[in-house]
Amino acid sequence: MAIQGIDIDNLSLKDALDLATLIEEEARDRYEELAEQMQVHHTPGAEAFFRKMVRIEDKHRVELEKRRHELFGSAARRVNRSMIFDIEAPDYDLVRQGMTAREAFAAAMSSEVKAHDFFVAALPRVKNPEVKALFEELRDEEIEHKQWVQAEIDRLPPAPSTPEDDVSDEPVAH
Amino acid sequence: MSSDIVIGMAGSGGDGIVSAGESLMTALAHEGYYALMTKSFGPQIRGGESSCRLRIATERVLNPGGMLDLAIALNWDDFLKFKGELQISNDTVVIWDSATGITADQLPVPGIKPAVAMAVPLTELTRSSAGTDKAKNSLVLGLISGWLGVAREAILAGLHKRFAKKGEAILASNERAFTAGLTYATEHPISNDRKLAPAIIGPAGTRKLLTDGNDMTAAAAIFAGCEFFGGYPITPSTEIMQFLGREIWKYGGSVLQAEDEIAGLGAAVGASFAGKKAMSASSGPGVALKTEMLGLASIAELPLVLVNVQRGGPSTGLPTKAEQGDLFQACFSAHGDVLRPVLAPTCVADSFDVTVEAFNIAETYQTPVLVLSDQEIAQRKETVDPIDTKRYEITNRKAPSADELQSGYLRFRLNDSGVSPISHPGMLGGGYLAAGIEHNEHGDPAASGGWHIKMNDKRFRKLDPLKSRTDLLRSYGDPKAKVALVAWGSNAGVCQEAVRMAQAKGLSVKLLVPLLLYPIAENVFARFFENVSAGLVVEQSHQGQFYRILRMYLDLPRGVVAMCRSGAAPFQPGEVLARLEEHARTLSVS
Amino acid sequence: MDTQLPVLQPKDFKSDLKPIWCPGCGDYGVVQALYRALSAIGRPPHEIAFISGIGCSSRIPGYTTAYGFNTVHGRSLPIAQGIKLANPDLLVLCAGGDGDGFSIGGGHLPHAIRRNIDITYIVMDNQVYGLTKGQLSPTAAKGRKTVTSVYGSIERPINPLLQVLSYGAGFVAQSTPADMPGLSAIIEEAIRFPGFAFVNVQSPCVTYGEEHQQMKAQKATMKSLSKLGHDPSDFLKALEWATHYGQELHTGVFYRTPTPGPTYEAQIAERKAALSKNALPRERILELFQTR
Repeated sequence: MAIQGIDIDNLSLKDALDLATLIEEEARDRYEELAEQMQVHHTPGAEAFFRKMVRIEDKHRVELEKRRHELFGSAARRVNRSMIFDIEAPDYDLVRQGMTAREAFAAAMSSEVKAHDFFVAALPRVKNPEVKALFEELRDEEIEHKQWVQAEIDRLPPAPSTPEDDVSDEPVAH
Repeated sequence: MSSDIVIGMAGSGGDGIVSAGESLMTALAHEGYYALMTKSFGPQIRGGESSCRLRIATERVLNPGGMLDLAIALNWDDFLKFKGELQISNDTVVIWDSATGITADQLPVPGIKPAVAMAVPLTELTRSSAGTDKAKNSLVLGLISGWLGVAREAILAGLHKRFAKKGEAILASNERAFTAGLTYATEHPISNDRKLAPAIIGPAGTRKLLTDGNDMTAAAAIFAGCEFFGGYPITPSTEIMQFLGREIWKYGGSVLQAEDEIAGLGAAVGASFAGKKAMSASSGPGVALKTEMLGLASIAELPLVLVNVQRGGPSTGLPTKAEQGDLFQACFSAHGDVLRPVLAPTCVADSFDVTVEAFNIAETYQTPVLVLSDQEIAQRKETVDPIDTKRYEITNRKAPSADELQSGYLRFRLNDSGVSPISHPGMLGGGYLAAGIEHNEHGDPAASGGWHIKMNDKRFRKLDPLKSRTDLLRSYGDPKAKVALVAWGSNAGVCQEAVRMAQAKGLSVKLLVPLLLYPIAENVFARFFENVSAGLVVEQSHQGQFYRILRMYLDLPRGVVAMCRSGAAPFQPGEVLARLEEHARTLSVS
Repeated sequence: MDTQLPVLQPKDFKSDLKPIWCPGCGDYGVVQALYRALSAIGRPPHEIAFISGIGCSSRIPGYTTAYGFNTVHGRSLPIAQGIKLANPDLLVLCAGGDGDGFSIGGGHLPHAIRRNIDITYIVMDNQVYGLTKGQLSPTAAKGRKTVTSVYGSIERPINPLLQVLSYGAGFVAQSTPADMPGLSAIIEEAIRFPGFAFVNVQSPCVTYGEEHQQMKAQKATMKSLSKLGHDPSDFLKALEWATHYGQELHTGVFYRTPTPGPTYEAQIAERKAALSKNALPRERILELFQTR
């Protein structure tokens, strides 16, 4: 499990909300980073999609943060970004220079699957019933996200027959 | 009476002839004389033949001098190995050990009839006085002291200091050998004109310094505030690292003997990046290896001093002999279009001034600076007048102001001077990326032509003021003279003496000695050459490298030519003057 | 889990400079893991000096807010050592690729290790020269075909793990961006180690690497040394695991000396303290040359 220093079994609702917020934040930041990579490497289709994902993940983050604030005000956070790794953030090796929009969607899909699996794996260990309810909710949301991404993929035109690599320039030596 | 005497001595390493020379020099300095000593050795690591030549005078000695006035051969085989350094003429007093079996009419110096040729029972006298062969050098000191009429007490005091630790018996036997030498000299006088004239005693309390160029360079580095030295052993520069390895810790600094030449300078580059004054030293082959690192220091604008103690080259060349063959390397062995200041001392005392100046220039302009010394200056010992360190200003690199650090500090900010304040790790708000890659004002990589032009312009512009540093050029002789000499490094002292000789003959001659070799102070040279019709640029290299650089930058008068030859035999003042006179005659200039 | 919120977050170590690495490059994960490790360490960026050589991976200092120095090919270690000796209070990191560290700069590594200067050296080992377009690297497998080994390389690869262990490094570890938590933890542990620490990161080249070297393949095959029951204080066992380099991807700490010796800079500090007591002031240094 890609967390460290967090006791899942005894997680409180406040910490669980903070954890969920950070998961969305990490995903947002990663999409931002990947969008930048696509920008630097002139891959506008994937860049635009990743930027869209930045907005979506940030929306989720804001919602969770709001709930946390309503319930617990500004009580100190006990979990931080150093404790989580790649939970909903797409893996670095899923992106390529010249990747198609379809490949970008596939990358997003795999991260939604990852996040879903994270909550599925965590649920049996969680003792606090409120946390359990929250994680079930988040798990189900990830299912919705997966469905949304799949629908977006289905709406895309069919994959081009010529792979990008065959037409792009050679890499440049420095 | 003489006010200027050259002594040459040779023997096997075990005879201790070089330490005798050093003892004599110390004693003479204490009595107010000036001296300059060069040493020369056979190729053996230990126990080979060794020699020294000592020029002693009542005034500052400018160069090692020419023919010997007094030659002492402990044995002729060893002496003759140094024919180049120890030249005997018809005016020389020649002394040798009678145990060699050579008689006066068998002297192995064909065509020469020395003024005095005297076989002295050196071995026998040593044995009978000291009871051992090991004190031969003390006996020789006694002979010299007696014949020159100097330094008796000072030499005895020196013997005490040197042998006190080795025990009463050894000290006593050396004292007896010294006294036996003195007695022998009194009983067998040589002509009175070999006696040294009384020394001109300086103001009370002034104590002369006695050292060589390498140690002086290292001491200057400490004085200038150097806190890091990274280097690798290479003859003839290693003594700089050795001196600093003894002393620098006392001043909070450190020395790293690196795994290679590259790492030595690399560590110095790192120390400079970390905010400390840093230095390395090497000789030609090592400098070749360091060249890439110099480029890095140039583009990252890091202050740095690199000393090249030149030896004959290329490659291993003449590792223990001087040559001025690395000037092109110093100025031009760069990848990319870059300017590095190059300074050169002309003597041991200059090694102090030039090294301090090198640090000041490096710090002021955030640039690597090369100091071109050579084997002769580096390893010869000289008596140096006291140096008043209060006269020297120490410059430190300009740090960014608190305001700058708070409001978007730009490490490579473009401005008129080309010098932008420099931060270092630990400084809050000063963070930047130093890099070998071209950068923008912030330091971020910007390998586009636009920034390259701007930054190169900055890196050249900041060094412009150096070209007007008239204090880094010295002129001698009659400013209106039409006949001129230019010399740098160890040849400067030779040419200064040539000018004195010319003046004594009533000839009008002038001399220009640049301490700053590069960038060329074009205006100063142009003014110097304005009225010149005949001139020599005197250099110890086959190509006449400085002459050629001058021609790159200036339209030299047609009568200015190079006088050059490869190392290792140094030019002699008389030789330079003779060539100059002949050259002027050919051009009908007077 | 009463953890103090660190003052510095990983993002505080991220600079505004956009990486030029190919999308999919392992180095993106390495820099991310480094941000996390540095936030856990808690030293502010201006007290960190981050030195690199030349190569794709050597771009890394610029992507952090530390004082960076992107030097010349193969020379990061000597420069980093000069920095640490000039100011031992700094946290000094060094990074580069396999060509930089084991080929052109290979002569510096044993000496950095034998001095035991407190520097953390991270090598992003991808078995290929990426920046110059896919030439053979010193860690490439025998038989590897590249533009400079068209018919397959003849020479054996270097085994960096075995090398640094035999040079006497007190901390030797390996990781991969395919295991972000592990990589981050190892970098943190390396930085905390009092002395020279070496971390070999199998950071795949997406453009010139082979399929079996990519993170996807790594995730399927990598094995954690701690899960294999390896005791990092066991030097001989560490050597044995290190011989698997090139065949199997083992992650974790190979060796961590149970008795770290004093660092070079600590010994120098003692020397300076002892010698500076009776020093002449700088301006009187020339008195050393006075006769008598």
